[in-house]
Amino acid sequence: MMTDYWTGKDEKVRRFGTARIVEHFIHIVTFGTLVATGLSQRFFSLDISQWLIMKMGGIDNIRLIHRCAGVIFVITTATHIAVAVFGVLFRRWHPSMAITRNDFTDAIHNIRYYVGLENAPAACDRYTYKQKFEYWGILTGGLLMIWSGLILWFPTFMVRFLPGGFIPLAKTLHSNEAMVIVLIIAVWHIYNSIFSPEVFPLDTSIFTGYISKERMEHEHPVEMRRRKAGSIGDNPEEIRQSTGRAESEEIASR
Amino acid sequence: MKGSKSIACAVLLICFWGVLAIDLSDAREVVLSDEARTCLGCHAKPGTIKKFQNDESVAAYVDPEKFRISVHGFLTCSNCHIGFSADSHPDRRFRSKKQYQIQTSRECRHCHTMEQLRTKPVHAGLFRREEEGKSAVCTECHSAHAVMPVAGGRIFSNEAQYCMSCHGFSISMAFRSGEQQSVTIDKLELQNSVHARLSCSDCHYGFSSDEHPRRDFRTKREYSLASSESCRRCHFDKYTKTLESVHYTVLSRGNQKAPVCTDCHGAHSVARGSKERSITTQRCQGCHPEVYEIYAKSVHGKALFDEHNQDVPVCIDCHKAHNILYPNTLDYREKIPALCSGCHANKTVMGKYGLSTDVVKTYLTDFHGVTLGLYKKQREAMDKPARPIAVCTDCHGTHNITSTRGTDANLLKANLVKRCQQCHKDAPTNFPDTWLSHYEPSMKSAPLAYLANLVYKIFIPVLLIGLFLQILLHIWRYAVDR
Repeated sequence: MMTDYWTGKDEKVRRFGTARIVEHFIHIVTFGTLVATGLSQRFFSLDISQWLIMKMGGIDNIRLIHRCAGVIFVITTATHIAVAVFGVLFRRWHPSMAITRNDFTDAIHNIRYYVGLENAPAACDRYTYKQKFEYWGILTGGLLMIWSGLILWFPTFMVRFLPGGFIPLAKTLHSNEAMVIVLIIAVWHIYNSIFSPEVFPLDTSIFTGYISKERMEHEHPVEMRRRKAGSIGDNPEEIRQSTGRAESEEIASR
Repeated sequence: MKGSKSIACAVLLICFWGVLAIDLSDAREVVLSDEARTCLGCHAKPGTIKKFQNDESVAAYVDPEKFRISVHGFLTCSNCHIGFSADSHPDRRFRSKKQYQIQTSRECRHCHTMEQLRTKPVHAGLFRREEEGKSAVCTECHSAHAVMPVAGGRIFSNEAQYCMSCHGFSISMAFRSGEQQSVTIDKLELQNSVHARLSCSDCHYGFSSDEHPRRDFRTKREYSLASSESCRRCHFDKYTKTLESVHYTVLSRGNQKAPVCTDCHGAHSVARGSKERSITTQRCQGCHPEVYEIYAKSVHGKALFDEHNQDVPVCIDCHKAHNILYPNTLDYREKIPALCSGCHANKTVMGKYGLSTDVVKTYLTDFHGVTLGLYKKQREAMDKPARPIAVCTDCHGTHNITSTRGTDANLLKANLVKRCQQCHKDAPTNFPDTWLSHYEPSMKSAPLAYLANLVYKIFIPVLLIGLFLQILLHIWRYAVDR
């Protein structure tokens, strides 16, 4: 099935709109910058950290870059949340990222499948429970990072509203939550989108916006069935043409 | 001995021939004159004394052998003791021993003219004193009957003994400015010094039993500065260190008040520096009294002076002894945590006082310490100037470090916030609450941070194991399915 996908014989369907593709690119850059400049501060005694700090012109520069990337991260995260909330409330988008009961049953089903107690993997909707776990992990973690990061950036200002103990709390949260996010991305995200045998060498859907029907049927059968039936009234063709619309994938999933 | 060798005018009239029991055949071939033999008939008896009007006395005893081998052995008694002879022994009265000595010194000048005496620089100071009305006594240095030429001091068993034959007495040297400097050496002090086994000329090079070069200095200070140069001949390592010091910089700019070796170590009394630590601080006090006063009131100073505590730092522990650097530089600032950790990271020392050794570690791993460490590296690697960052002394003070024990917490906080505000200008009064006081977060000191840390300590490994298990199961199933 992989071969079919790569030779392009198979028909592809639109999965992500341009806005999501651009957003993902911005996240790669800002997240990469935040991790590089942040970890080199957390593990300041390592040679590689010191090498990077010196290359970037010193610790003050590293902190400046980290804060600039942080500001971009705040903006993209705020925009993302605003768009999603707006879409769900006023455009009647299907909240496809919302965690449902099915996600828990799917997870249990899949574990049973892995150990041989089920014959087929769980049939997932637009986002699998793995993707939702990652999304919510990063989103809540990101909010925690923003909150604690701002406290650390402006301690003398923040301490006017918060008890003093919140500064050491913010410090420990910021560095520990960073580790959680880095682990989720480095282990879970990189595995699922690069090293997983199903997508190796790279899941290109977030870069091209398209996914093969073969993979759709395998990974998102519920969504695929819905699309085939057109039960919600969304024509995949329409989605394909509406690449300029940021919310296309939200529409597609309704 | 030398003092007793001075001979007074004879008090006895009767002299006998042939009493002399000295074998004259060996040593110098000088034969004592008949007159001398007559005089020695009495004066060779130990115990003969001359009394003065103020009840002082002097031995009138003459050691015949010492006299015979002296440079004056060829003379006869009346050559010096004018008016005395084998037949005549006038009764002369003197108010004091001193007056008598001055009188006898005049007799020397009959033969040893002023012109001849002036050729020896060592006499120059004496003549200056004479001009001021203070008489010089020849016999104080040269002895009376055992008189030896200074150049041929073969009777001295070592150099020090030779030099002390003059410098053991109260003599001084004068400078062009009119200042006087005592060049009297306290023999006991010299023997107790670490240099007890050195010879005088080891330091006073150019001087010997043959040479006493004339030294001509404008001021007493210039003489001290020049004298301290001799130290480097042995202590070259220390000398090179001093070249880096702020004192040398000040000196080379022409400020002669800058201390040199002898100002701290003393000259002839030079002692080992490590013996009593409070003494070293007192050396510094000489020029830095205001700092000393502040230090003496600090937790370190009080322990040193009140309890004779030898663990506390004294001036030279932080500032170094020889390569004393100018302290208001970034370079010096960056060394401060290392200076403090010399003691405060030492478990054995801190254990005695119940102090935590975590202070240094917590500083170095916290924001300020990390930044400091990186600034230091930055300045080494790319010579990039960095801002000053808080080090130990910015919060604790430098010379005025006080203990926080038993201090009211609110007062402590009020004092601390002032320190914070030096850098964090807009810090509110509760800002010190953000500080963990060098403690690792604990349930008691910082429950929020402690609990958050604990949660992550459990959560991160669980997450990691969970994710890897998922991945492994996934791969395994995939492999089985194929």
